[in-house]
Amino acid sequence: MSPQSLTLPDAGSRTGAGTAPGRRRLLEIAGATAIAATYVFLVLTQPVEIANGPASFSALVALGGFLLGAVLLLVAVLPVLPTSTLVLMPVAIVLNVVLGQLMGSTGLPFYLDAIGTVLIAVLAGPAAGAATGVLGSIVWSFFNPTVLPFAAGAALIGFLAGLAARGGLFRRFYLAPVAGFLTGILAGVVSAPIAAFVYGGTAGLGTGAIVSAFRAMGDTLLAAITKQALISDPMDKAIVFTIAALLAYALPRRTTFQFAFVRRFRVLAGKLPADPAA
Amino acid sequence: MRLHPLTALTAACCAAVMTTAAGSWPLSVAVALAAVLLAARTGVAARVLLAAGVILAPLFLSLLVLHGLFFPEGHTVLAQWGPARVTAEGLGFALELASRTAACVLLLLLFSFTVSVPDLLTALAARRIPPQFSFVLAATLTLVPAMAERLEKIRQAQEARGLVVGRGLLSRLAAARLQAVPLVLGLVEDAGLRAQALDARGFGTTGPRTSYRQLQDPPAQRIFRATALLLAAAAVVLRLSTAWPAAVPT
Repeated sequence: MSPQSLTLPDAGSRTGAGTAPGRRRLLEIAGATAIAATYVFLVLTQPVEIANGPASFSALVALGGFLLGAVLLLVAVLPVLPTSTLVLMPVAIVLNVVLGQLMGSTGLPFYLDAIGTVLIAVLAGPAAGAATGVLGSIVWSFFNPTVLPFAAGAALIGFLAGLAARGGLFRRFYLAPVAGFLTGILAGVVSAPIAAFVYGGTAGLGTGAIVSAFRAMGDTLLAAITKQALISDPMDKAIVFTIAALLAYALPRRTTFQFAFVRRFRVLAGKLPADPAA
Repeated sequence: MRLHPLTALTAACCAAVMTTAAGSWPLSVAVALAAVLLAARTGVAARVLLAAGVILAPLFLSLLVLHGLFFPEGHTVLAQWGPARVTAEGLGFALELASRTAACVLLLLLFSFTVSVPDLLTALAARRIPPQFSFVLAATLTLVPAMAERLEKIRQAQEARGLVVGRGLLSRLAAARLQAVPLVLGLVEDAGLRAQALDARGFGTTGPRTSYRQLQDPPAQRIFRATALLLAAAAVVLRLSTAWPAAVPT
């Protein structure tokens, strides 16, 4: 009999214990495919749709496809996250809301409701970011059910923020807003069909005015909302990424370097502490 | 008799799906009214209506301006000022979408304001939903009030140290930073401690778990759930199959 280790297995080896990693990878791919396929399908079918009266066909496809994708991603990612990341997720979700309100009190015309998601993606990686986006949408829908269909967009923001952190974009301070800008473009484009087909417009009066302007020029609803998203979202996400970077650097390094993701990919600038466990 | 949380959740979701699939505004208005009546019966009408109003009012206004004035696909012009045209089709489209969203929002708010969160978590755990999901859900819902309290304390502490929020943007940004950094730092520290405590109690291990809460799940409610799910699926299939030839360009 081989001698058994007396210490707890670390997060990396524990992750493989539950379900087969291959099946999990399959679920991730299925989730991403569901979201992408839904988007392509909606873009291809939308010109016929709006003239045909009620948009319930497209609404059902958009809701079903995006929610299915978000839930598949969540099922794939959630069981493999280490406890240190899991306990951070409620914090991130509440930060989304509270910091969003705090920044709202500065009078800037942005939503800034993804600061927590981006912060957790910087500290714990793309998978944690995507899971936080989906879970945050689910939890927040207890108070505001209209955010639930945007779960896939929130997952995309968390995932892309994690990829940017892994690629070292948070190491140089001027690169963080650039990463946010690019994320905003993609997230805005993916979320536009939800706004167009499920709600028929945007919730804000300011954004509604921009959509109206494009509609007055004769654009289809989806095109008008996509263009509006391309105006507001990249700016918003650039600010969110900057704030998340400011917060990550404001935290003491003893805290940030506790995260394996931060140590392994050298996410943040500065020298590694000699003994991160100390 | 108390409803099993999953029965309430299934009922709310299936009603929302069927309303969306039907896509007719009289039905949507009827469902919304039914949700308000049910809320009044359970005594949460004021909270549900307040929350729904905050969500729906800007959406309604935005829809009215957007589709009421600019609907290039409309033919029946009722009034016209320059580029803005009020069309019957546009107003109908706005009414359709506004009533549908209102019905769905009211149904889901009715569920979330009447459900007991511990019961819901017990029910989810019994259905083999990952315990991580239940943890995040429960922790977030309990963290919201705790965090608001903490933010208030931080604000008071910073004000005692001489924080004055000025009129300028820079001053307000500085004030936001002085409150946000201690808040995030404290919460991340707490999370680290909680992770160790949870791991020490076997949170991360796999295997069967037991619960000290027990829920009644009468057979009648199981049958109701199955029927509701079947009906919702039928409504979706019906809508997809009737709209398919028209919706897909050939």
